[in-house]
Amino acid sequence: MISWIFQLLVFPGLTFFVWIAFAFEWLERKTAAKIQSRVGPLTAGPKGFLQPVADYFKLILKEEIIPRYSDRFVFLYGPPLYFSVPAIGAVFIPVLGETGVLSHTYDLLFILFILSFSVLMASILGYAASGRYAIISIGRLILQYTSYEVPLILSILAPALLAKSLSISKIVASQTSIWYIFYAPISFAVFLIVSLAELEKPPFDIPSAKTEIVAGWMTEFSGRALAYIKLTKNLNYVFLSALATTLFLGGPTLPMTIQEDFIMSFASLLVFLAKTFGVGFLIFVIKSALARIKIEQATSLLWTITTPLSFLQLLIITVFR
Amino acid sequence: MSSDESIEKTVKETTAGLIQYSPEGLVPFGPVHPALKEPEYFKIILEGEKIVQIIPRIGYAHRGIERATQDRTWVQAIYLVERICGICSFAHSLGFVQTVESLTEYEVPRRARYIRLLIAEMERIHSHLLWLGLVGYWTGFDTLFMWIWRDRERVLDLIEMITGNRVHKSYATITGVRRDLPENIERHVQSAMKYLSERVVFYKEIVNTEATILTRTKGVGWISPDVAIRLCPVGPLLRCMGFKRDVRVDDPYAAYDEIVPEVKTSTDSDILSLLNLRLEEIEDSIRMILDAITAIPPGPVKTTVPRTIPKGDAMGHVEAPRGELFYFVRSDGGNKPTRVKIRTPTLANILTATEMLKGHTLADVPVVLTGMDPCFGCMDRLTVIDLDEGKEWQINGEQLRRYGIEWYKNNKRE
Amino acid sequence: MRRKLGIAIPEMIKTAFNTTITKSYPFRELEVSERFRGKLDIDPDKCTGCGVCAIVCPASVITMIDLGKRKVGDREVPIRRPLFNLYNCISCGQCVDDCRFNALRLTKEFELAVSDKNSLIMKKAIEHVS
Repeated sequence: MISWIFQLLVFPGLTFFVWIAFAFEWLERKTAAKIQSRVGPLTAGPKGFLQPVADYFKLILKEEIIPRYSDRFVFLYGPPLYFSVPAIGAVFIPVLGETGVLSHTYDLLFILFILSFSVLMASILGYAASGRYAIISIGRLILQYTSYEVPLILSILAPALLAKSLSISKIVASQTSIWYIFYAPISFAVFLIVSLAELEKPPFDIPSAKTEIVAGWMTEFSGRALAYIKLTKNLNYVFLSALATTLFLGGPTLPMTIQEDFIMSFASLLVFLAKTFGVGFLIFVIKSALARIKIEQATSLLWTITTPLSFLQLLIITVFR
Repeated sequence: MSSDESIEKTVKETTAGLIQYSPEGLVPFGPVHPALKEPEYFKIILEGEKIVQIIPRIGYAHRGIERATQDRTWVQAIYLVERICGICSFAHSLGFVQTVESLTEYEVPRRARYIRLLIAEMERIHSHLLWLGLVGYWTGFDTLFMWIWRDRERVLDLIEMITGNRVHKSYATITGVRRDLPENIERHVQSAMKYLSERVVFYKEIVNTEATILTRTKGVGWISPDVAIRLCPVGPLLRCMGFKRDVRVDDPYAAYDEIVPEVKTSTDSDILSLLNLRLEEIEDSIRMILDAITAIPPGPVKTTVPRTIPKGDAMGHVEAPRGELFYFVRSDGGNKPTRVKIRTPTLANILTATEMLKGHTLADVPVVLTGMDPCFGCMDRLTVIDLDEGKEWQINGEQLRRYGIEWYKNNKRE
Repeated sequence: MRRKLGIAIPEMIKTAFNTTITKSYPFRELEVSERFRGKLDIDPDKCTGCGVCAIVCPASVITMIDLGKRKVGDREVPIRRPLFNLYNCISCGQCVDDCRFNALRLTKEFELAVSDKNSLIMKKAIEHVS
């Protein structure tokens, strides 16, 4: 029982993923700086590694300004709830072996529910702030969500079809011979595009477009609430990258290995980290090479290109298997 | 409604202020906003995402510079006038100095005219590169923003080598420039221009083929030239509609009669053509700088700087990076100016920019509103609006002073 | 031209392997050009107290202080020296251009943030006389 709680909260559960989230933000800022001929974070920790931690603590120490016409309860207690959404999802990801800390026969459906719940929480937070910018941003957010929900579900269903099961551990176990990215490459590409839309990164940066609606639904938050929201955004980034490695790249397994002893567990941890950072890096490269598009163009892109492609991929899988 | 009535409606609504709208439809754009470099207030009235009306309200950066020049001598006023704006600083000081010189009988030496052309063209390159980088920022393309501003540093280093400072150059004086060019400047200029011309070719390729930039800027902000010409735009905004007007060619000053610029126009009047037009102007400026640095004649750089200017009125204009900058100077023979009036290009462009936005969505506002390259610090005016009676008028300095005395007499503050 | 997506990526990869152009300013000295206009400095031996610098300064930085009188022939002439309030100085260099005796110059020092305004008042010329 104690070891189960330790696994849930510390490793490979909550604290582990929070540290990976900080490391993702550091990697993102450092690579962005190198691409732009700058230096990036430099002095906090070795090569600026502790800069995201320092930002987080700085935000916690600042004063929270609550607007007068906002919903005070949701304003103060909403962000920790928003943080819990990817945190709960993250403990289902297998890190050291074939199963995560929690697992269940139908946990892929639970993951889908988690992904849609985070958008709902963002809308509730924006509504609680109730500024002009937040209302426009929530409209854009929900419109974008309804456009990317269908390709997301369809592209997640492709590995489930290939493994003939809805359980994450079964999907990881049946990738020991060959990864699913070679069987379903179109689904992988669609999943990358849709995760850009879920994470609100360019070109789908629309709900929190900095120069049009200041910060969208995050505008009125400050202090501890903003610290939670920023951490949740990073955790979402880690969660989606880890989901991509689990479903398409085989999770922590290399082809044709068995995990039985301690050294193999350590190796599978390293493999998992390498794959997750690789997918995160790929998302980052796409993000920094594109400008932001408008909401009507985003909806038309998501409906007319990604949805038929994911249908096509499912058709190919059913025909050839 | 026809274009005449549409313009009348725009002008009346902008000056009188308000149309009927519901409170949810009003989005305040500014005064402080990440998209604007300087504060101005735009009331955007939305219906969903579509824009129904934009009403600008100016006056947030007004500093009373025209009044402050009356307390300073002629040479001290140059330092005041060049601090109106950071990006077109040399254009302001050049406009003021040339207008004052037309009242005297001194002639500017030829070498000084070439040096003025050199610095003015370098400032044009700097300003256009700044705007291009900011287009990347406004569309969410941070990488392009950082790259272009890295290349802008080469021009700023050149300017620092010649004038001593990067932004407020303090270089022009009445009858010439304050000091000569340093030695070996030709080598630095040529290497910087070579680097910049390669980079401009690369940015032209990015701007014209990157799909996400094209969807944001092609066809956006289209305005019919017949409608726009009634609202009197100036500068690149005018040239992108096909009108070939440039002060450097129509009324040459400095050394522009010997090194002639090539005026570029374009026929579609959207934001993509503004991007291409400014990139081509950078290439033209590079050519002129290279011509000037090899053909510069020897000689003095200034004659004696006069302490008093003879009596008279004078008007002059220069081509700032944003358009035609107009100066009026009145002197009564003393050592201080009596009246200086400045009309900056952004003041002429602002109504055209708001007209361009009719029928577009909120996502187009940063790109179109800043397509005219606004410099609100230059342009501010003070206007008094009486909403109840629907009247508006301007007040002069004496009325303002008396109003202030009356107000403080009646409302005593602790 | 045709539309492409992600045309900036090859340039991104190339730039990532070049050196950065950031100058690590607080940790290293920043070099400025020869003509950089920084803090004002006076050579007290050359200053005669003519007062032209105080008249032409656009920012009203210079005030002339009376320090006594001296005899020239059979006239009594006041001795004046300038007091510089460098807190207001805009480093335009007008006083440097107009000083006939070349007593003023602009140095390359630009780190002028202080916590006490009075430490930026330059009294070198006054102290040299008395």
